[in-house]
Amino acid sequence: MNILLRSWSAYTRMTLRWPGLAAIVPFVPVVALWVAVTQAGIFPRAFLPGPLEVLQAFFTLTYKGILPDYLQDSLLRLVIGAAVGMALGIPLGVLIGTSRWVRRVSWPILLFFQAIGDIAWLPILLIWFGFGITTMTFVIVYTVLFPVVLNTVLGVESVPPDLARAARSLGASRARVLWEVTLPGALPNIITGLRNGLGYGWRALIAVEIIVGTSGIGFMMFDARRAGSVVEILLGMIILGLLWYVVDAWILAPIERATGQRWGLVTS
Amino acid sequence: MVPVVHSQGKRPRWLMRSLASLAGAAMFVAPLAALVLLWAIVVPLFGVNPRIFPSVGAVAGAAMDSIRDGTLIQHIGASLLRVGLGTLIGVVTAVPLGIAMGVSPAVSTFLTPLFRFFSVLAGIAWIPIATLWFGYGFGAIIFVIFNAVFFVVAYNTLLGVSTIPHALRNAAASLGAGRWAVLTEVILPGALPNIVTGVRTGLGFAWRGLIAAEMIATNVGLGYMLFVARDFYRTEVIVLGMIVIGALWLLIDRLLLVPLERSTIERWGMVRRA
Repeated sequence: MNILLRSWSAYTRMTLRWPGLAAIVPFVPVVALWVAVTQAGIFPRAFLPGPLEVLQAFFTLTYKGILPDYLQDSLLRLVIGAAVGMALGIPLGVLIGTSRWVRRVSWPILLFFQAIGDIAWLPILLIWFGFGITTMTFVIVYTVLFPVVLNTVLGVESVPPDLARAARSLGASRARVLWEVTLPGALPNIITGLRNGLGYGWRALIAVEIIVGTSGIGFMMFDARRAGSVVEILLGMIILGLLWYVVDAWILAPIERATGQRWGLVTS
Repeated sequence: MVPVVHSQGKRPRWLMRSLASLAGAAMFVAPLAALVLLWAIVVPLFGVNPRIFPSVGAVAGAAMDSIRDGTLIQHIGASLLRVGLGTLIGVVTAVPLGIAMGVSPAVSTFLTPLFRFFSVLAGIAWIPIATLWFGYGFGAIIFVIFNAVFFVVAYNTLLGVSTIPHALRNAAASLGAGRWAVLTEVILPGALPNIVTGVRTGLGFAWRGLIAAEMIATNVGLGYMLFVARDFYRTEVIVLGMIVIGALWLLIDRLLLVPLERSTIERWGMVRRA
């Protein structure tokens, strides 16, 4: 018990020094368990290969250049989709949020189209655009667009009207009120919307790559599934999880927290 | 904004309230009705090829046909059963686990990254391996829904329990509450808003996962209905399926999850602010 306690306190001190450690060490027991289960042969190898084989597949596929290519394809699709979704979603959200009538009329429509969900659009998109980049981009843009629009509207509404009026009475033009009051006030919500949208967006990307599939991590996983090769499926899942973990925990969440803190005064 | 109706003595309050909610529903439906009207005008006006986009009449006809021969109900039933069962298993296992892990701050800080990792991975990314482990069909789909709900709910429960101020637990304990009383009267209520938020997020992922999984891995369900219709260029069935999917999710989310979330946050809001 004493040793356990001492090692725990040593671990706590280490994580204070290197915060990154706290994000890595918890995975050690999981990998150990994984090794133990595969070594014990509880499941057949074809169902659950060991970590070493996955690592090996990682090096082979990287060496062949398949993995970097697919990863690049997936990321590029996601980035393009997210950029277009934001470029459309933020202005649309501001427009809807600033006018009560537009908001009242468009809100049910927005909710309904969000409810249909990205993936349900796939069959008709395949008829319209065929199997290709247009279909994929459409789905990602669609997925990112709605959370961004809905959250931008909520953000714009959360800005107290008094602030806009104060700025106006001090001589600010409408454009300046928009730029210096409305947008900064709505920023925390916009970031939340973007984070939600990307969370849905990359899941949609995986589904699209599985179904439309010509390249990308999702395609790699499902292609491996057809061939019955679990190693590559697991590799794909680990890469996706790690990638998204890093993007979400180290990029999006800090931005969300920072804008929330920076502009927190506006909403309270 | 929800219109506030004050009872003015003469008319009973419940009548006013139901009238207000009726008006709210009408306000909600009117823009959608206008959209359908626009659709009914535009399609014949421009002579849109039914293989590209169907007319309102064709979709209504497809709806009548599929209701009459029972296939629509069958697909909806299969999809709802999968979501319901997967969600139930997910919530029932995730909440106790999340609470057990969250009670000790040391354990919860240690495990948070792990559950975060799995909750960002939850859902669609599991489809390939689920179909390999369980074969194409019921088991694989239930598994995808289960893990979408399980990891997100467990992660949120963990967060919820760790946000409860320790002073509250100590206060209850010093007033003589046993372990069980602290659990049911402090920890569970305090974590409830997070748990409900987790269920809502998890279900959102699960619903999308369901549609995707049904397109890939089964022969019944709404996703399958859409995907098969594509093979025959039957756009009216596709659009019907999209409307059903949208309407179902809107009903589940607005009538079940949003009120649930709002009521728990309002009811227990004090606990978190303390």
